[in-house]
Amino acid sequence: MLKLKLALLNVLRNGRRSFITLLAIQFGVISLILMGGFFASMYEGMRETVIRSQLGHIQIYSEGFNQFGSQQPEEYLISPEVLEQVVKQVEGLEQVALVTPRLNFTGLLTDGSKSLAVIVEGINPDKEALLSSAVKLTQGEDLFDEDIEGALIGEGLFNSLNVEVGASLTLMATTADGSFDARDITATGAISTGTREVDNRFVRMNLKHAQELMYTQGVTRLVVLLNDTEQTDAVMALLQAEFAAKGLALELRSWSNLADYYHEVVNLFDGIFTVVQFIVLAIVLLGIVNTMVMAVMERTPEIGTIRAMGATRFEIISLFVSEAVILGLIGSVLGVVFAILLAQGITASEIMMPTPPGSSQTYPIRIFTSPDLLLKNGLFGLTIAVISSIYPAVKASRMVITQALRFA
Amino acid sequence: MSVVKLQQVSRAFEVGNKPIVALDKLDLTLEEGEFVVLRGASGSGKSTLLNLIGAMDNPDGGEVLIHDQALSTLSDKQKSQLRSHYIGFIFQSFNLIPVLTALENVQYPLSLQKIPDAQAKLRAAEALDQVGLADFIHRRPNQLSGGQMQRVAIARAIVTKPDIILADEPTANLDSETSIQIMDLLGELNVQTGLTFLFATHHDFVLSRASRVLELKDGKIIKDDKLRGLTSVKTKAG
Repeated sequence: MLKLKLALLNVLRNGRRSFITLLAIQFGVISLILMGGFFASMYEGMRETVIRSQLGHIQIYSEGFNQFGSQQPEEYLISPEVLEQVVKQVEGLEQVALVTPRLNFTGLLTDGSKSLAVIVEGINPDKEALLSSAVKLTQGEDLFDEDIEGALIGEGLFNSLNVEVGASLTLMATTADGSFDARDITATGAISTGTREVDNRFVRMNLKHAQELMYTQGVTRLVVLLNDTEQTDAVMALLQAEFAAKGLALELRSWSNLADYYHEVVNLFDGIFTVVQFIVLAIVLLGIVNTMVMAVMERTPEIGTIRAMGATRFEIISLFVSEAVILGLIGSVLGVVFAILLAQGITASEIMMPTPPGSSQTYPIRIFTSPDLLLKNGLFGLTIAVISSIYPAVKASRMVITQALRFA
Repeated sequence: MSVVKLQQVSRAFEVGNKPIVALDKLDLTLEEGEFVVLRGASGSGKSTLLNLIGAMDNPDGGEVLIHDQALSTLSDKQKSQLRSHYIGFIFQSFNLIPVLTALENVQYPLSLQKIPDAQAKLRAAEALDQVGLADFIHRRPNQLSGGQMQRVAIARAIVTKPDIILADEPTANLDSETSIQIMDLLGELNVQTGLTFLFATHHDFVLSRASRVLELKDGKIIKDDKLRGLTSVKTKAG
């Protein structure tokens, strides 16, 4: 108990030095929490945008579609009978918010003067409106079930064609039986999915109208939206088991399997975060080592005295490490508290970020302070304080007692 | 019974590439209960001798034995334990820990021996009472006079009930009157507790209290006067 008290009193004996050490620890903890919290919010925002604008949580295809579907999409469509059975089954799960079919194909969109290659998605407008909450309507009106010929045009494509809302366009495509057909569509509005590449070539139209153009009653995929993203793996496993039990030749993909861009961005930012962690670590470490070495120098005769009284080298190390633990604990707790306050302040101020590369939407800075993030970085502060104390502590423990006693 | 034995102990230092012999094949035996004064000019080897007996330095040749245990056979940790249990130190500059109270300073060596706090506190208070500082136990070193600080240091040295107390110029930083008081106190403790004392000092007034006077010159004992019988009247066990 007395040893701990001595460590505490040593922390307090040089207030300015302890204050500087605490500032260094807090700087590290606050920096990493703010950065980690910002990245976490960005990851979540990207993930939910991808899920709620394009992918849903789970997609269901005919077996073999992902391997061969790009060459022969018409061979891997889900038939109306299977569609009805699967929709009923999936909608019966309590974790599922909705299920909606999509028919995807490529085609040529023309306004009479120029033609552009487009990616077309036939959708159920009412359900898709609920699923694609991250798709922003930038001009005109949304698509409804009764707008049989209506279509939503990607913002980039809409601008390229230089058309007005309500303009009549012609969509040409290779049908399911291999012939070529065309249908007129009406541009009801322009949309932004959040991804510029998609917005430059994307058309959404009523599923029935798309099926008429493609001469089919089938759909390419069923998109499932869950109540909670965390349930994705569990629902995937459940559906796979149920489809296998019923002998349905279907395959499933989760949003994570499909979101390559999301994973690339996450990997990139995780790499950046690791580099920043090392930089912060180096700054904090050097700061604390410097102040602790000064403390060791100042207390050299005292170290000699304690050693003369019978303290082992380990006990000298323990004394300095205990001081570092005290500083680390105080610094980390203060760092976490200030980081929470700063995160809340920054989030509340709704500072808008510049549009990210490849994205078509801007967003406000949000900083998440999850318990996991706070705990991890709080422990980082404590750990770095302890690591920083090891060199000065070992240096103190290795002093020659007679020289230490003479030191003035 | 011998507490300390030195056999042919030598120690030299290099000062600017020039070897200086501090101790030269020194033989010495200190008996239990002796009150030994170590005299000699600066550089005669007094402090070196104390450091070697205190297991804080290693001889270049020969052997130092404490209770017939050769120090050269001990690890650093074992030497620490030996210092903790068998040797008490009194320094010229008192060397108290400034952030601790008098009581805590005296308690600290006991905490190194892992003695429970309550028991250590009690023993520390008793030791402070023995040196006449019962009313000053909660004062920090900066609230005490030089004499009081040295009394705290003495209490700290005796609280572990060591076999020998080593004191390097314990009165050098004190005025004459306080120095006499401190020496009287140490003499009393020698009588009361049977502790062996070894002092390095320049002060002549100490001689009247000594049971033995050693004079060092150029690393050798040139005089070893046993002035009287052992002053202690009771052994440590008693």
